[in-house]
Amino acid sequence: MIVSLSSLGLGLIVGYLGQRSRMCSIGGLRDFVLVRDTALLKGVGAMLVAAWVAFGAIRVIAGSDAGFGLLAAGTTPSGIAACAAILVGALLLGFVATLSGACPLRQHVLAGQGRVGAWAFLAGFYIAAVVYTSWISPHIGSWVL
Amino acid sequence: MTAGTAAPERESVGADMGAWAGRWARSAVVYGVAAAGLAALVGQWGGVSPPAAYGLCSACHGRDLTDWALNHVEGTKLFVTAAGTSWPVLTVVGLVLGSLLAAKRNGEYASINLGGNARQFAYGAVVMCAALFVGGCPTRIIIRTGYGDVAGALALAGVAAGVVGGALSLRWAARR
Repeated sequence: MIVSLSSLGLGLIVGYLGQRSRMCSIGGLRDFVLVRDTALLKGVGAMLVAAWVAFGAIRVIAGSDAGFGLLAAGTTPSGIAACAAILVGALLLGFVATLSGACPLRQHVLAGQGRVGAWAFLAGFYIAAVVYTSWISPHIGSWVL
Repeated sequence: MTAGTAAPERESVGADMGAWAGRWARSAVVYGVAAAGLAALVGQWGGVSPPAAYGLCSACHGRDLTDWALNHVEGTKLFVTAAGTSWPVLTVVGLVLGSLLAAKRNGEYASINLGGNARQFAYGAVVMCAALFVGGCPTRIIIRTGYGDVAGALALAGVAAGVVGGALSLRWAARR
């Protein structure tokens, strides 16, 4: 119950701010490479720093099994093959998301403000979610995470 | 006469407040701080927790929602993270509704068709598979890197390289 309410509230706030600020987590670097515009890149940097500060504060206040070091415990990839797989998957993610024009979160925002292409993107997105968990993920296993 | 002068004054104070809030809402830095801070809060005290740093993700939460719906309607046994097993994670619904609300309030809602929708469909499918493979959409990869996740930092480096490559290939295609 609380999961649904808190995630819906988070989505509403982030969706509202995302529509107003046109923020996109891959758009920062893309705009910098294409037109040397750093407005969105500052947002990405702020998100990174804010996440670091917020998780650090929560670890101090509430404690956590992630430990107090700079790197969280239990998140290191299992080996060189896992590292390579993550790098290749992330490379594909960044490349195709740039071609589609926005990161997945920004596509949700664009869908909300009436972009038809974003609805087409989301259709492929959710069909692929079911396809991935039904047929692709069982063959890969969870060794990457 | 006093009442006549007082009312516009209060209105202008309200308009100032509105303009101030609107200016702040348009800043990408405010978005970044709000998204990361709220994601950490929701992950710790909002119940969206069993995977670490799971507060905000459009790919994983979308996967959780579709798989939860299929599991409940069709009786399938698709993978759902522990956070979204009993009650669904509604972040993606909130994202679309919040953006719709913002666009309607500010007169920016418009149904625009830029074409290339079949291509966007294919891009969406590839992006979802890649995002689930590396464990998050680019936004969650940033948040995971802030959390101290080594795999997340690695994925962030890969995404950055992919974005540079994609932007350069877009420029190459535009200049050809």
